[in-house]
Amino acid sequence: MMPLRRFTIDQPKTVKEAAEMLSHYGEKGRLYAGGTELLLAMKHDLLRYDHLVDVKPLPGLNTIETRNNSLHIGATVTHRAIEKSDAVRQIVPVLAEMAHHVANVRVRATGTLGGNLCFAEPHSDPATLLLALEAHVHVQGRSEERILKMDELIAGAYETALAPDELLLAIDIPLASKNKRAAYLKFQIKERPTLGLALVLDLDNGGSISKARAVVGSVSAKPCRSDQADALLVGLRDKVEKQLADAAQALADAADPVDDLEGSAEYKRHLIGVYLKRAFAKALS
Amino acid sequence: MSAEKKTDFHVVNHSVPRRDGRAKVSGKAMYVSDLKLTGMAYAKVLRSPYAHAKIVSIDTSRAAALPGVHCVITGNDLEGINPYYGHAVKDHPLLAIGKVRYAGEPVAAVVAVDERTAFCALEHIDVKYEELKPVLTPDDAMAKDAPLLHERKFEAGALRGFEGEVTAGRGTNICQEAHIKWGDVEAAFKKAAAVVESEYYFPMTYAYAMEAYVAIADVADTGVTIYSSAQHPFMVRHDVKSIFNLPVSQVRLIVPFVGGGYGSKSYTKIEPLTAACSWKAKRPVKLQLTIEEAMLTTRSDDATTWMRTAVDANGKIIARQAKIYMNTGAYAENSPLVVEKSTNRCVGPYAIPNVQIDNYSFYTNTVPASSYRGFGCAQVTLPGESQIDELAAKIGKDPYEFRLANVAKPGEEFFPKMRPFDGTLKEDLEIAAKAIGLNESVPKGHGRSVACSTSDAGAYPLTSTAVRVHADGSVTIMIGSTELGQGSHTVIPQIAAEELGVPFEKVHVVSSDTAITPYDRSTGASRTTTLMGSAVLEASREAIQQMVVMAADVLKVKVEQVQAIRGGVRCGEAQLNWSEVISKFYALPDGEVIGRSYIRKAGKFSQLPVFWETACTAIEVAVDEETGKINVEKLATVGDVGLAINPALAEGQDIGAATMGMGIGLFEELVYQGPQLMNGSILDYRLPRFSDLPKKIDLHLVQNQDGVGPYGAKGGGEASLNSMAANIANAVERAVGVRIRSAPLTPEKVWRALKDKRGKIKNER
Amino acid sequence: MTDNKQTLQLNFQLNGKAVEIECEAEETLAEVLRERLNLTGTKLSCEVQVCGACTVLLDGLPVSSCTLLAYEARGKNVVTIEGLAQPDGTLHPIQQAFIDEFAFQCGFCTPGMILTAKALLDENPKPSREEIVHYMDGNICRCTGYVSIVAAIQRAAGVTSKDTKK
Repeated sequence: MMPLRRFTIDQPKTVKEAAEMLSHYGEKGRLYAGGTELLLAMKHDLLRYDHLVDVKPLPGLNTIETRNNSLHIGATVTHRAIEKSDAVRQIVPVLAEMAHHVANVRVRATGTLGGNLCFAEPHSDPATLLLALEAHVHVQGRSEERILKMDELIAGAYETALAPDELLLAIDIPLASKNKRAAYLKFQIKERPTLGLALVLDLDNGGSISKARAVVGSVSAKPCRSDQADALLVGLRDKVEKQLADAAQALADAADPVDDLEGSAEYKRHLIGVYLKRAFAKALS
Repeated sequence: MSAEKKTDFHVVNHSVPRRDGRAKVSGKAMYVSDLKLTGMAYAKVLRSPYAHAKIVSIDTSRAAALPGVHCVITGNDLEGINPYYGHAVKDHPLLAIGKVRYAGEPVAAVVAVDERTAFCALEHIDVKYEELKPVLTPDDAMAKDAPLLHERKFEAGALRGFEGEVTAGRGTNICQEAHIKWGDVEAAFKKAAAVVESEYYFPMTYAYAMEAYVAIADVADTGVTIYSSAQHPFMVRHDVKSIFNLPVSQVRLIVPFVGGGYGSKSYTKIEPLTAACSWKAKRPVKLQLTIEEAMLTTRSDDATTWMRTAVDANGKIIARQAKIYMNTGAYAENSPLVVEKSTNRCVGPYAIPNVQIDNYSFYTNTVPASSYRGFGCAQVTLPGESQIDELAAKIGKDPYEFRLANVAKPGEEFFPKMRPFDGTLKEDLEIAAKAIGLNESVPKGHGRSVACSTSDAGAYPLTSTAVRVHADGSVTIMIGSTELGQGSHTVIPQIAAEELGVPFEKVHVVSSDTAITPYDRSTGASRTTTLMGSAVLEASREAIQQMVVMAADVLKVKVEQVQAIRGGVRCGEAQLNWSEVISKFYALPDGEVIGRSYIRKAGKFSQLPVFWETACTAIEVAVDEETGKINVEKLATVGDVGLAINPALAEGQDIGAATMGMGIGLFEELVYQGPQLMNGSILDYRLPRFSDLPKKIDLHLVQNQDGVGPYGAKGGGEASLNSMAANIANAVERAVGVRIRSAPLTPEKVWRALKDKRGKIKNER
Repeated sequence: MTDNKQTLQLNFQLNGKAVEIECEAEETLAEVLRERLNLTGTKLSCEVQVCGACTVLLDGLPVSSCTLLAYEARGKNVVTIEGLAQPDGTLHPIQQAFIDEFAFQCGFCTPGMILTAKALLDENPKPSREEIVHYMDGNICRCTGYVSIVAAIQRAAGVTSKDTKK
């Protein structure tokens, strides 16, 4: 057995109380949601905390609802709940499909969306897709609530922009217009993806692409996008198809893939091209 | 050839449900991990962070003083026992003494009231190291200025069934060498019509028996008792006996159910350390490794093989030469035997008149390598079966036809001085080819391939058993064979039930307790059905002979007047079943008859190998040319098993082995970066999964009753692993035209090969 | 060591019966089941949530008890492999199907396999082969090559296996 070292579990009743606890414990405490990443790292002695602050009992963090023209997902909603949610399947089907393929059935049953984002593991599927979906997150500490964009939240590998006393409350995804198309594809050999590629396209009435967001994840420290790549993905389909290789190149330059056990940087750059093409075909199919 | 070809079976050759079925589906099957002894303490191990270093000092005082800690043991605390063990040579200290030889080597152990207390105490042990230059590859090991891993000469281990001499401990880093040679290789290559020559690499792999190594040891005044996940309890007993200088009778190894072995639990692993903990703590101690620690305990030998094979103008293979360099890691373990076996198995299932194989294994500062399913065969079948395809392509022949024309024929002495070939490879290949649709049209990007292998298997014939027939007609068989999942608790009683004519349900198995069960050398090399099966068959017949004599006594007739019939005896009109014979003999409904048998290297087992373990695999792959990813679409296995005592179990072994082989062909590999193992966790070591399962699977058994075992049975269960990596490489070559000579064929490797090929085509244009 | 011991008083349903047990905050559910309750049918293998040997059902859903805190079971319904057979010993149809299809060898993955299969069939009584593969993909078996396990699940679901067996 790989035993966990000793710790206590706190159950705050309000967000304020949780923030107070986090502030009080400082580096000795950590927020605990699903635990699928955190407890794993603690078992491996990569992280040590004396106190875990359980956010799951906090009221209101466990719901999925539409709110102000956006899909509002509470931080402690599990991957499975997203996968099975009728609202998600109807409004942002690409998110439900992504959740259907996160890790395995057991991780999906316990892992939470908020936990996943806050752990900022570089191979996170949700972080990649949510960046493409222009999601933003609500965070709150002892002071008032603030809103961060996805690329503001994820600062790097295992790093977020959250202040030590802040917790993530919810994720807002802008509701898709009728002419929004999206795809999330990943290339995975090992336990974690080698590459995740999310593509969200807005089509105008003539079927031309009016706006595009391509995001690549897993290949480097955090999900990446590129204005240049997105610009190359706008226009008539035929024209964009011819520019896919250039867009992939721009996206690869922005992501700057690293060599690791999942593959060489060169291979990952190549895969970005393959998967941008495949995601484009899938989004428009 | 088998002396008898019985066909009217009652129990044998039927897929009777597994004996352990109910226990295993209801969570009641007990593995060592599940056992607790009264007063038992728990050990945890501190491991070296360095690959090669001198231990300058160890201070255990802080850890030992912690509440709940019974004691801390290091290499400095082993006075009074002989701390070195090993099957081939005793080069392996149970805890590092003076220096560490790989990152992950046990340096100290804490014994405490529970696992968590022991674990938490580890970081309070202070070890000072002085780093030494590490030796990581065979090239490093051979270098002129290479540091020596082992400076001293070793005491020989209990190695048996081994023909060669162990090389280790002679002032180099060579752990073992083995050489075979016949014919005139140089002359044959000179006159050859075509030759292929290349270098191949077979990776380090991890068996991932899902139950990690575990032992509970109780070292007491009366002797040593150890519960262990070992495959070969009698082999472990030998090591433990010499560590504590005890008679065999005072060392007891008990092995309940084992959660997978695949060779990785062959021979001694953590039993000496666990016993030393108990010796020092003066109480029973359990040591349960984690999987991540198991990955730092044993792996397979990786192998770099240079090979050339020659063919004459008639398409006959006339010569093969190979030089193999294996990386055996920090300690010899059972690798010297792996080296010997891979040398033999390099020849392949072909009658080749001119052969020279030179094989060297090297000590390096990496995790020790040892037995792994197939025992060196997969390492050399990747080059061997790749070259068959490469050679066929070179002379413009269909590789399947080329194999048919060259495989060993039944009864042929294709390997000098060994048992003549006892399989029917031509028939096996035909079945495999048909199953995969080898000659049907192939979709674009797909490729099909058939490959084969044979191994000198069965290890060494030394097995004994007792079959006890009770007064109520039920039977207990006492076998040293360990139930690893392969089904020995089902197959062996099937044989007893067949012979004694009693219902299968009435035959009970007691296994793998060295204090109770008669000696059996090992549970490995696919030997159990053949050797233990033969022993139980003979012991059952011996029990019958005794009961015939008893029946004569009971019936007051001459022995010759009593005839054994199925399940009892007949004498004129009188019939008695076994229960009646025994009860009347003792004049009470109690008592028993004990049939025995002793198998040794004599009679039909006088020639090695015990049998040739032979199989074919056939696959169809689809290659995604953009990513290089391979999907195995179809898979067929053909096990040349002589007779399947339990066909469903035999097929289960074949598909299991083929799946492991597929894993190595596609993605399994332990990756070292410098001295550190980079993927020492199941998070990073990719194993075959449900989604890798080919959509179409065909499992075939060829049952010509041509083995030396019971009713013509031979062993199976390893063979369909061996050809899989080569098969995948061959099928990929046919699918997309690139030849890859190293496993695993990861997507990136395939993509690079395709890219190089396109580059070449461009340049040629 | 820090002085932060926190003993929890847990109440949950275990295989249909209420249990009340004391454990420490850092104990996993597998630890409590195996060490405190002596329910050793739950196996520990990879301990990184990849292999599924430690799978138990928490309110009907499969979870990795190796990494799930026992704390998470409070007030919930836990089913382990020991809880599947009927009191008279009759095996659950999935258990029986695993025997009938030879869907295990060493048996170490089997409790987790059977419980995951149960969760699947409870949710989706007639799964397709693809649905079985997707749901079960997080459970590793090193012995069987999976073909017999797919067949066992199909047998338990009463759907015939067309493409996995000859």
